[in-house]
Amino acid sequence: MQIRPLGLAVLFSWLLAADAGAQRTATPPSRLTAAQRLAILNQAAPPPAQTPPGGVDWRTVAAMQKRTQGAGQAAAVGLDQAAVDRTALPILLPADAELMAGARLYSFGDYYTVTANTPGGRVSLSGTASTIPVSTPLNLPPQGPGQLIVQRTVDGQLASFSRYGVLYTVEVRCNSPADPKCRNEAFVRAVTAKSNVLVLGAAARKAAGLGY
Amino acid sequence: MRHAQILIPALALAMLTGPACSPQQGDSSAPAASSASAPPASGAAPAPAPSSSPSAPVVSDEPISDGGAEQLPDETLPVGGTPAPEPAATDGANFAHHPAGDLIPGSGSGYLDRTIWAPGICFPMEEAGFANSQVYDPGGGQGPPGKPSQCDSSNYSLPWRDNFCETRGYSSPLCVSGKGHQGQDIRPATCQKAVHWVVAVESGIITDIGSYTVTLTAAAPPHRLYRYLHMQMDQLAVHEGSSVNAGDHLGKASNNFGGTATTIHMHFEVRAGISGTSSDGKPVVLHTFLPPYMSLLAAYQRKLDGIACN
Repeated sequence: MQIRPLGLAVLFSWLLAADAGAQRTATPPSRLTAAQRLAILNQAAPPPAQTPPGGVDWRTVAAMQKRTQGAGQAAAVGLDQAAVDRTALPILLPADAELMAGARLYSFGDYYTVTANTPGGRVSLSGTASTIPVSTPLNLPPQGPGQLIVQRTVDGQLASFSRYGVLYTVEVRCNSPADPKCRNEAFVRAVTAKSNVLVLGAAARKAAGLGY
Repeated sequence: MRHAQILIPALALAMLTGPACSPQQGDSSAPAASSASAPPASGAAPAPAPSSSPSAPVVSDEPISDGGAEQLPDETLPVGGTPAPEPAATDGANFAHHPAGDLIPGSGSGYLDRTIWAPGICFPMEEAGFANSQVYDPGGGQGPPGKPSQCDSSNYSLPWRDNFCETRGYSSPLCVSGKGHQGQDIRPATCQKAVHWVVAVESGIITDIGSYTVTLTAAAPPHRLYRYLHMQMDQLAVHEGSSVNAGDHLGKASNNFGGTATTIHMHFEVRAGISGTSSDGKPVVLHTFLPPYMSLLAAYQRKLDGIACN
């Protein structure tokens, strides 16, 4: 066993740091067993996700889909049809062929997201009918029509709105944090405003009573 | 002091008998070894040691005072709030940590609720990790005076500290001001970039990759969305569309920030659709940021207890 001077120096400096760190530790180490600790941690699990009251408004979806079917077919061109078909939600897309060119759909059935390229970044369009209830008040700026809520993110803008009993999001992400598309809300609001094309795959059509 | 007392004998032994530190390996101001900075091992499996493979890249990184990365220089920081009061009850984790919501004084008001919003996740670092603030801790733009190095040993030591809701200009509706840090900063096992693996916290699909972001959408309801920022983007183990299992490698912790550099850390976000009530009493539904700290505490505790995450 050889004692190394460098090791001693590092050890000494570390002991000083460890002592200082320990003094500002707010929570002392627990004497609970692993099982007790896990039991405590498990008690803190969130309430289960729930579907908004009323669920998906398939009647309105069906009516709207009949009106925009042609647009829906056009907007969905290029998306993975198998993913479209297993999505049991009305997929909402922007009427923007340029944006949708090359877009990719990832579907989990009860949740989907579409990722599309835009110059200098990407746009994600998502939908879900499940939400987690939160009991603490949400500190939000005044909401616009249709309960559109826009949040500034590290790399862009995130817009949320509810339609047909589904929570939809439009998120803009920029490669450069200084990109104007992401620094102000104009672009995400514009994409949201034209997100009115409904696409129903097999699972959604069945749920809407439209057959396959 | 108790942690120091527990660790001292083991550490002393490791440092006196272990391989000599090479002056060429890493920043001299970084912690000497991950075992020195890893959580206490008393009664628990130690966190895995950092990669020591001879072929592993060892990248020296100059200390950066990054001016509070993730916030553009011309976007002023809101005034920090009062420190949050300390919750009373234990949260079940037995390694040194500050309680949820207890931010660095003067850095904002934390979120005090102890809900684990992402139960059962893997800890997002394969090895040890240190949850703290990359802005208000040493080397950060708002860090303590006289401590300019991001590799300061205190950044790579316990205790953990929450920094969700830390003062920022970004939206974060669960924060008191409606704005704040949207995730948790986690430093890897050592102050070296592109060495330590970042892993998938849940099984799912990589649904987006940006210039410094990786987005994982969980396969299981409610399909939480996890965002990992600042990995070494030219060494990712995944691409958009990759299906991953919990624990799979995604990439390596680094300092990428879209052309500029931030400190070596991983910004970790948890998002989901939520329903609740606005502060003015209106029912609202939106997709937003959830506090990761309690979920990370639980995940790290499971890791220390030797419980596989996947």
